[in-house]
Amino acid sequence: MAEQENRSAPVTRRDFLRQGSRVAALTGLGGVAGLLASKLKAETLVWQIDPAKCLRCGRCATECVLKPSAVKCVHAFALCGYCELCTGYFVPEPNELNTAAENQLCPVSAIKRRWIEDPYYEYTIDETLCIGCGKCVEGCHRFGNGSLFLQVRHNLCLNCNECSIARACPGDAFRRVPVSQPYLLKTSYSHG
Amino acid sequence: MPASDQQSTGHDSPNPNDGTPVEEMSALQKNPERSKLPSGSMAIGRGQTAFSRRRFIGGQCAVLGVAALGNIATGSIFAVAGRGTRSDNSENPFAYRVDRFEQTDPKLIGYVEARRFKSPCAEPRRMAIGGDERIYLAGEKRICVIRPKGSVAAEIGLAAPPQCVAVANEVFYVGFKDHIEVYAANGKRKAVWETLEGNPYITGLTVAENELFAADSGNRVVIRYQLDGKIAGRIGARDREAGMVGFVLPSPNLDVETRGDGVIYVNNPGRHRVECYSVAGDLLKWWGKPSAAIEGFCGCCNPIGLALLPDGRFVTCEKGLPRVKVYNANGEFDCVVAGPESFRENARAGAGSTSDPARIGLDAAVDSKGNVYVLDRVTGNIHVMVPKAKSDGAR
Ligand code: SF4
Ligand code: SF4
Ligand code: SF4
Repeated sequence: MAEQENRSAPVTRRDFLRQGSRVAALTGLGGVAGLLASKLKAETLVWQIDPAKCLRCGRCATECVLKPSAVKCVHAFALCGYCELCTGYFVPEPNELNTAAENQLCPVSAIKRRWIEDPYYEYTIDETLCIGCGKCVEGCHRFGNGSLFLQVRHNLCLNCNECSIARACPGDAFRRVPVSQPYLLKTSYSHG
Repeated sequence: MPASDQQSTGHDSPNPNDGTPVEEMSALQKNPERSKLPSGSMAIGRGQTAFSRRRFIGGQCAVLGVAALGNIATGSIFAVAGRGTRSDNSENPFAYRVDRFEQTDPKLIGYVEARRFKSPCAEPRRMAIGGDERIYLAGEKRICVIRPKGSVAAEIGLAAPPQCVAVANEVFYVGFKDHIEVYAANGKRKAVWETLEGNPYITGLTVAENELFAADSGNRVVIRYQLDGKIAGRIGARDREAGMVGFVLPSPNLDVETRGDGVIYVNNPGRHRVECYSVAGDLLKWWGKPSAAIEGFCGCCNPIGLALLPDGRFVTCEKGLPRVKVYNANGEFDCVVAGPESFRENARAGAGSTSDPARIGLDAAVDSKGNVYVLDRVTGNIHVMVPKAKSDGAR
């Protein structure tokens, strides 16, 4: 339990800066925290997903009042295996390991695959396409390192009084977090 | 940037998925945080694979077109999405489906479970079987010595969590994250070997008559030791100039086994294969292919554990679709010891559920009769699997 709590501790801007290169690709989220804090009252709370509780049920895609959802897949690169056969990117039994549509798991092809060095590949999320369905998250969780996870993106979220996804979430994964710490990230730090 | 930036929490939010500063893997590997070891810290993260690197690169531009189609398709996805009750999730239109691989064809199962008992220690990781047929289990901060029927014969307390264990005559060797210790059969510590340099994470041990081999997941190499603790060589290291990709380990699950005949067997999970090396470090042969189907190794990185049967066959362990299988000496699929239906909780756990990948999946050890002991790291159960043909006698 302690581990779970640790994994999902809210990330402040200071934490982010301390972690530095560990979560370079996620620093965008960290920077947002300060910006949000300056625009909203200190006590303002916003909705967020605890990745340790998320069951990857698909409702983040279907229940949000926004279409597509304000929930997006986020990638903790520090945890990623940079696998050639990424189970978050490929369907369970791909014909070939290429970017052909029938081999991709994501229903909207929101994941980009880039060769880094034999045999390592980098996977990035195009948030403008992602619908927050969690399919890749489940593939990564089940076979990989769990580096893909879902977060409410606060550049999109309407911060509804009663989040309609939270109401339907079977994992009780939604909670209110301070606007100054709006993300619950999986990072090397939180995996400590 | 999405058009909806000016909503209630309106601000110019950078995209968290932008700008991964990774231009080459070496930079990535130099990042100490990425390869920091799971034990007490964090979770981290093929040459002749079935597919060449060029074929991968070839299709990149196709993505954009597919993405556009995907966007159009999104509307219809929402239209079909079910709105069941909070607990009823049977309608998930985005479900990740591997059910067809979760039930093993009974005709392929060559073993039957003779008995099952609970690991006496928490967080069991790997095990070995001694000449006396006792099980040496590494877990928590101790080595548990277990009689074949499951009762505990001895417990040896340790200062740190052991990752793996190997048993020889009169002594056993314990692999810690960064070093090896030698213990007498009575549990008295005899020697502490030098701490390894670099980024060590020892996850597999095997001992032959005059030498010991340690699988170091952190440094991605197998270390050949003399039995006095001196390092005699390093096997399987990445060598760009020689075109050696080395061990590809998205998670720290390197294992090593030997029959003491001058050949060592090492799993290479990221390349979905088992590799055979001479003790001098020459790659002699390899076998295995990526596939969720029963003949292959599933997911991104399997197998995660090996054991050797007395008749020359191999036992392999997988995670994700937790299953234990036997391959013949040529690397051809032979039979299933136990399929995913035997490890339901393990399958559900998933690597993403723990900060320590060495706490998911399975490990296996073999006794002199060819019975396979399977450790479920999630439930802590040890399944004693006997070949079907002789199952009656062994019970
Ligand atoms: S509704 Fe809850 S359990 Fe389902 S994907 Fe969203 S956060 Fe996860
Ligand atoms: S599979 Fe779903 S959650 Fe993952 S990137 Fe695609 S749309 Fe987003
Ligand atoms: S608060 Fe509203 S906009 Fe934000 S995720 Fe929940 S339902 Fe969607």
